[in-house]
Amino acid sequence: MKRLDMSDRDDRGGGRPEVIALSFPARADLVALARFTAASVGARAGFDVEEIEDLRLAVDELVVSFEAVQAGGTIHLRYTHDAGTVTIECTVEPGLRSHPSEGIAGGELWGGDGELSRQLLDALVDEHGREQRQGRPCVWLRKHRANASA
Amino acid sequence: MCLAAEASGERQRVTGLPGGDEGLARFRDLTTQQDARLRDELITSHLGLAHQLARRFAGRGEPHDDLVQVASLALVKAIDRFDPERGVQFSTFAAKCVIGELKRHFRDRGWAVRAPRRIQELYLEVGQNIDRLSQELGHPPTVAELAAAIGTTEDAVLEAIEAGRGYRSASLDAPDLNSQTMADSLGSDDARYSHVEDRSVLAGALEALPERDRVIIRLRFIDGLTQSEIADRLGVSQMHISRLLAASLAQLRASFADDRRSLEA
Repeated sequence: MKRLDMSDRDDRGGGRPEVIALSFPARADLVALARFTAASVGARAGFDVEEIEDLRLAVDELVVSFEAVQAGGTIHLRYTHDAGTVTIECTVEPGLRSHPSEGIAGGELWGGDGELSRQLLDALVDEHGREQRQGRPCVWLRKHRANASA
Repeated sequence: MCLAAEASGERQRVTGLPGGDEGLARFRDLTTQQDARLRDELITSHLGLAHQLARRFAGRGEPHDDLVQVASLALVKAIDRFDPERGVQFSTFAAKCVIGELKRHFRDRGWAVRAPRRIQELYLEVGQNIDRLSQELGHPPTVAELAAAIGTTEDAVLEAIEAGRGYRSASLDAPDLNSQTMADSLGSDDARYSHVEDRSVLAGALEALPERDRVIIRLRFIDGLTQSEIADRLGVSQMHISRLLAASLAQLRASFADDRRSLEA
């Protein structure tokens, strides 16, 4: 893990949005970091345990569905929570491919064009998508707390 | 030794039952008469043995009540299967059966990744409190509510939830104490879902899973039920459903990865 930077620890969404950034090598055994951070951010956003479980499954999906993920690359995750809404954005810095077993399965393993990932994320979160950001592909998701004010 | 011999010695102290010929005589009566009341008496009078053996397996991350249930069920099976003509004391035979069942229980439901004892215990406590608070509050609790109820920190609760990924979930086909499987409680739903979304990618991917696991995936990702709703339907905890979903998705991903490697080879 390269960086875990939590800001405004005491602000549980009452003020400006909290932003948490996490970067780690694209290895399957490190995805737990992404899940744990998602759960922590979800808790701070006031999610109930079931919403947090969905968020944990979704961030798993977000990371492994990324078509550009290759062994040896670096995953960058940006978590934002604001007024009961959590947004997670994932970009990948490609690296040299090493042994396949060391890396995280990419989207091409998971339903070809990512249709399966989309179907799973549809059920787990409120919004999700893929887009280009600063020349790099980015996948993102957004989940609202059930009782959050609109 | 063993536990069987030790249990045999304990039996008279715990149950007050006569051993030796007199005890065997009662089992001979049961075999010949099929007397339900005698069977009940034998079960009741030997429950102390089940409790004693369950205690021997306590403190390993499984709720004591669960262990007692497993041991008690094994005891009933032992009574039904015991052959008094084989020249073995019932307590010896029963202890062997009960211990075997308890070991199987740990094999099927133990921790695949060893977590520290405090985390194992906290994980169990979290699961119990989620169910309790969900009923009391009318909605799943937040992490803050859970932490307050248990008397620990939110970080500890989150750590326990993440550690739960290392906990093996009992198969849906594992029988419960009523000799029913959780999957049985689905009734005809499986048939109802068998024709749903045949064209979806997800439906196709489910072929890689055992039939019963497909039902949970379908309920969650195609039919849109929440984990709690699925848990209610199956009569298990929400955390159990969470573990099964995570394990099924991991299995699906592994299956896709294998297929891809096969294509590349």
